[in-house]
Amino acid sequence: MKITTIALLLLLGGTVFVPALEAQVKHIEMRVEGMT
Amino acid sequence: MKQHLGRQSGVDKVEVSLINGTVDITPKEDGHIDPAQLLKATYDSGVTAAELDLTVRGKIVKDGSGGLALQAAPNQTFALAPNELSNGLQSLADTPATVTVRGELYKKPPGKKKPELPTSFKLQILEVQKKE
Repeated sequence: MKITTIALLLLLGGTVFVPALEAQVKHIEMRVEGMT
Repeated sequence: MKQHLGRQSGVDKVEVSLINGTVDITPKEDGHIDPAQLLKATYDSGVTAAELDLTVRGKIVKDGSGGLALQAAPNQTFALAPNELSNGLQSLADTPATVTVRGELYKKPPGKKKPELPTSFKLQILEVQKKE
């Protein structure tokens, strides 16, 4: 019973957190003027 | 400016090339970075941003007005400027598929020395790097 509950929690946690970690801003490049 | 940008949340590394006039920003692995905030920070440091390009991975979603947007995080969405490349992503809207794109978020209007920053930004896709 406990193992089933823990497994379910891990599965739900994975579906919530994995997409959030995968999707993101990877790199930003700016061209600027007036820099000395 | 390097220090100023380095202090912004979600920024891992800032590399400045004086010769090319470019600034490369590497976000933290798990950090939330706000490109609009970086533009503002650049202006605040006395430098004019001419262009801001970014590479972002996320899901294609439909925004409230029916346009397409790229969701990079649960609370971070970039509205997509309609062009041929964004139209090609229409079929992925609201599906679990993720895409990695390179796009232009800001370009300084020609002729103005230090224009005011727009209140909202649209990401113009320049390249679709990956569809998964």
